[in-house]
Amino acid sequence: MTSPHPVCREIEPDLLALAAREAGAAAAERVERHVAACRPCRGELERYRAIEGLVSGIKEAPLPSDDATLARAELEARLADLRSRIVGFGIYASPVGPILIARSELGVSMVRYLEGRVSPASPQVRRVLGEDAVEDRAATESLHRELLEYLDGRRTHLDWPLDLRRVRSGFQRRVLEATARLPYGAVTSYSGIARQIGAPTAMRPVAQALRRNPLPIAIPCHRVIGNSGALVGYAGKKVGLKQRLLAIEGVHFGAAHGELRVDREAMYVCPPEEVEYCLPTCGSIGSRPLAEVRLYGSRQRAEAAGLSPCTTCRPDLHPLN
Amino acid sequence: MGRVMAEDAFEGIVAAHHGEIRRYLLRITARPSDADDLSQETFLRGFRAYSSLPPDANVRAWLFAIATNLSRNHFRSRKRQRLAYAAAAAEPRMTDGAGPEREALLGETRARAERIIADLPDKQRLAFTMRKMHDLDYDAIGASLSCSPESARAHVFQAVKKIRRGLDDGPPVETESTR
Repeated sequence: MTSPHPVCREIEPDLLALAAREAGAAAAERVERHVAACRPCRGELERYRAIEGLVSGIKEAPLPSDDATLARAELEARLADLRSRIVGFGIYASPVGPILIARSELGVSMVRYLEGRVSPASPQVRRVLGEDAVEDRAATESLHRELLEYLDGRRTHLDWPLDLRRVRSGFQRRVLEATARLPYGAVTSYSGIARQIGAPTAMRPVAQALRRNPLPIAIPCHRVIGNSGALVGYAGKKVGLKQRLLAIEGVHFGAAHGELRVDREAMYVCPPEEVEYCLPTCGSIGSRPLAEVRLYGSRQRAEAAGLSPCTTCRPDLHPLN
Repeated sequence: MGRVMAEDAFEGIVAAHHGEIRRYLLRITARPSDADDLSQETFLRGFRAYSSLPPDANVRAWLFAIATNLSRNHFRSRKRQRLAYAAAAAEPRMTDGAGPEREALLGETRARAERIIADLPDKQRLAFTMRKMHDLDYDAIGASLSCSPESARAHVFQAVKKIRRGLDDGPPVETESTR
């Protein structure tokens, strides 16, 4: 029912706008002037006004199923979950090279040694942390400070809440948890951790799990070494770094068979289930495999781990130097 | 934590806009379960993108744009669209007004108009709903539909003209303004 006259056709958009109360003053005046003289268009205007009225009736009518309560509650639960997965991170200089520290609402989720200068916006960082990660030095600065104190030997504990949700495998999680329980200054072997998680033959899987430790230092995988006392590996090819971390904790080294090893003869010994620590010469303890014992570099470290001197060999009376 | 502040602000955004966005989606999908899912998805996407939104952005228009895009993807499946239209056409409406007869007539006209709206091409239907049911301006509607404000306005006017033609094809229109 388009108005046939060209003038009427031309005025139609303005007429629609006026009916919708959107017309500017000039357009409104144009339409008013036109409809005063053009009866069909006056009818058109009334018609469109009536439709606008009908449409606002639809708008005002209550919608069926307009109860957003459940949807809103579900949304908020999902947002809370999403929020807890958001990672804030910082990249810091440290005596062991540039280091990335990331945390979520639940705890520290990643510590990573970086090679050279890495920008927070680099693809490498995105790859390990995901797209949702945001640089957040304010949230990670205190962690960095504590880490520096630790690397300086002024702090023996990093009491950080840990977020291990990225660790999907139950086995790896058990390995990491057992490793996290190794006291400061103590070493054991990969087989030792395997024994502790009830999988005594799983030495290699344990080593693999520790190689993928997302939280080195915080979960002290550097305290886990080969059965021979050799350091074996650390964070790729950073065995020197492993030695350095152990040296900070007072672990002693010697050379044997052309490689660096933890010097068992210079360390106190205690099986993980015992409460007394011994000299390496006490009874047959010196010949027990490393998997069955923990070694401590000093009496102080052993006693800080809650152990007392053996009443037979009396390391308190005959300390190692 | 910079993002934490953004999160707090985002809670306010959910509180302020979730109800309306869900109503919009309910209008265009006509299915409460679709409106629930799509409104949830709208805000989850919004949450992820919120930190990169300019501080002076129109948050409401931005949420409508996300919801519109999600619903258009949702409707790519023609089957879904047919279901939604069928649901829209079958949906009984609450009515107001005077005597029962008049109410019935008015309700019927409204139902007819709603069926016509449900049958509009996507862009016209979405533009019409954003404009007439949620009072969005043409800039915002254009942004939602990836077109100019002028095209957005043309979509709305086309929709109005089609409603008019559709109603003219049936019995005489009874509307509020003719009371």
